[in-house]
Amino acid sequence: MSNLDLRSILKCVRCGTCRSVCPVFEQVGWESASSRGRMLVAHGVSQGLEADQDVLNSLNTCTTCGLCEQMCPSGASPVQVVQDARHHLVLKGRMTDAQAALRDAAALAGNPLGETQYRHAWLEDASDIKEHAPYVFFVGCLGAYRYPELTRRTFDLLKKFDVTLIPEEVCCGSPLFRTGLDPDALVSKNLEQIKRIGAHTIITGCAGCYTTLKNDYHSDLKVMHVSEFLAEHLQELDLKHLDITVTYHDPCHLGRCNGIFDAPRQIITSICELKEMRSHHEQSRCCGAGGGVLKGYPDLSMALSKKRLEEIPGGVDYLVTSCPLCRTNLKRGGPKVEVIDILDLMEMAMK
Amino acid sequence: MLNVDLIEKMRTIVGKDNLSVATCELYCYSSDASQIRGIPEVVIKPQTTVQVSDIVSIAYEHDIPVTARGAGTGLAGGCVPLEGGIVLDMSGMDRIVEMDFDNLQVVVEPGIVQEKLNKALEPYGFFFPPDPGSSAMCTLGGLIANNGSGMRSVKYGTTRSYVLGLEVVMADGKIIRTGSKTMKTVAGYSLTDLMVGSEGTLGIITQAIIKVRAIPKERSVIFASFDSPELAGKAVVRVLSSGIVPSACEILDANIIRAINTYDPKLGLPLAGAILLFEVDGTEAEVKEGVDLIVKTCEGLASGVRTASDKKERDEIWAARRLVGAAISRLDPMRTRVYVGEDVGVPIKEIPRMLRKVDEISKEFNLPIMTYGHIGDGNLHTGMCIDMLSDDAWKKLNAAADKIHRTAIEIGGTVTAEHGVGSARSEYMRLELGNALDVMITIKKALDPKGILNPGKMGV
Repeated sequence: MSNLDLRSILKCVRCGTCRSVCPVFEQVGWESASSRGRMLVAHGVSQGLEADQDVLNSLNTCTTCGLCEQMCPSGASPVQVVQDARHHLVLKGRMTDAQAALRDAAALAGNPLGETQYRHAWLEDASDIKEHAPYVFFVGCLGAYRYPELTRRTFDLLKKFDVTLIPEEVCCGSPLFRTGLDPDALVSKNLEQIKRIGAHTIITGCAGCYTTLKNDYHSDLKVMHVSEFLAEHLQELDLKHLDITVTYHDPCHLGRCNGIFDAPRQIITSICELKEMRSHHEQSRCCGAGGGVLKGYPDLSMALSKKRLEEIPGGVDYLVTSCPLCRTNLKRGGPKVEVIDILDLMEMAMK
Repeated sequence: MLNVDLIEKMRTIVGKDNLSVATCELYCYSSDASQIRGIPEVVIKPQTTVQVSDIVSIAYEHDIPVTARGAGTGLAGGCVPLEGGIVLDMSGMDRIVEMDFDNLQVVVEPGIVQEKLNKALEPYGFFFPPDPGSSAMCTLGGLIANNGSGMRSVKYGTTRSYVLGLEVVMADGKIIRTGSKTMKTVAGYSLTDLMVGSEGTLGIITQAIIKVRAIPKERSVIFASFDSPELAGKAVVRVLSSGIVPSACEILDANIIRAINTYDPKLGLPLAGAILLFEVDGTEAEVKEGVDLIVKTCEGLASGVRTASDKKERDEIWAARRLVGAAISRLDPMRTRVYVGEDVGVPIKEIPRMLRKVDEISKEFNLPIMTYGHIGDGNLHTGMCIDMLSDDAWKKLNAAADKIHRTAIEIGGTVTAEHGVGSARSEYMRLELGNALDVMITIKKALDPKGILNPGKMGV
């Protein structure tokens, strides 16, 4: 990963298809903010182009949403190239202030938020943490510190199915992987504990955690999103029908990057009406938060959120999503309807 | 020569957010989809015609090269600033200025993207027919400057047929208007026609009056499979003289069929030696008649003929076809598509001969050449993929491309039917144009005496 793979960069034929889909390029308008531009910049960096602030901005404004990769006719992998280029520069000591802050917070607190309090403070009964279990619920940083209530309710549901927690869970490493920082300490700390628990499956409610645990951990553990796990237990949950209509935002790292489209929709349509957003499934627009963009470029991130919110269809009561980071950023954009997690919707149907 | 004071002056004209001298940005504007490179000294995104005029005036006074750029999707280096200077990124001027459907026309700024224009026209029942593979990203300005066309040109012609008039900033900064809103005019030399396809060497297009057409009521797509590209070529000649004018007539050779199937597996095209894709549009009766005639004409030559089952299949095959130029890179992870020698055109009757020649060149250089393109108007795209890190592969590639170009000229064709000359093909201008190139040079000198507009292009 430390070396920029030249052949991978040169897979880009510069046809410009990504210009027509990259949400960041649409916002910024300069070539350096398109995937094609970033491929050129990565090439430049590999050939000694000086990594000044403009180079850092070009590479770090990518949300890693992967829409360009989805549409790329030549089969290039701009997201991987961007991540590799960020890592390449980090190794040379070149990073943005936001990356440096992220690195320091993760090293100090074990999470990118810099929160130092006990991660499972939301947990009412410590005896729910079992020494051994087949399933672990990976809470995630936002779940632990920003949405503790939702996390408590999620775990209340999950623990009926032989699910435990990682006693000293730390950040999965997602923001570090995405921004080219070193996630190894976090990864081993989580993996060692999961091994001790003896679990075969990790369940998470966050799209960022999901893709990281699944694709970056290189373990033989099965990874499931909460919506996948609960969709398999729908019969046992006894959900009531609600007379409402909702729309659903596909988190990029859950949908496009990992193909989880059906499970959340299966849950939603078992409860209420679903009206799709203007773009959905593989073509879904990014909320604007991923890849370190929310932290590093909050104004850009906000603009992307607003664009995504414009895609909410008329006549819906809620915008449902299945990732706390998407939820956070979509809320920042000032939505016309309330943004809720898919677990919130399930809770409404259980009352 | 550019200097700090001039840059500040230009920054004042366009505003600080619309000018960049950042090394990183200049690097990103140093190429298009071709192999041509040139780094600008400043990139400017003008927002109005007056800004373009003010910038060009400064450039004229101080002998600074000015290269206009749309979306940078070109395949011949047309927008690459070979001599540095200013790149004018026109993509910010992307408004539809006027929709005048009673007069079958719209007025647009050059930065508007083809697909966005067509999306805006669709609710009114109109469309702009030229349909290049890059329609999702290329701009109208780029299409006009290169006289681009694409898959519908066999019936609808090239961009030229749709430009009624232009607003152009000349080399000295003067703003002129060519043509008119009328469907016909013979008042004076056709400066509109001179500007269309001039690749930014004679002026900077800042506005265009574009003719639009009513969207045809029906469309149907026919897939005809053949044992060899040559047989397909014969079928094309036969269909085109049968009295029917298809709205598209595309050829895909065996490798291209594989590339399309890799890009979109659900299409499942038959693995034939070649496939012809015909599209017929018009009224229901016209389409039915056209389909019947094409099916009948292909009999005896084709190994199989069928029509697309529905709109979905039709849209999918065109979407895949549009992107196949780049998608052939998917056939081998070690290789990347390189756009050289990719756009020859030959007289229709010579299509089978050109296909045979391409095959011979492929064998001679031991380099797979994949053929696709708008065979209905004699325009063949020859696609080559190489290992980008092999010097030997580059040598073979360039030698094969050179032979393809020379062969096309020898049999009465052209080195570029729609992608443009740029600098990638300027060396063939003398061979193809003879002393007509001298007239081009005379015109260039008259309109751009200091040679500041897109220097190093088109052989002028």
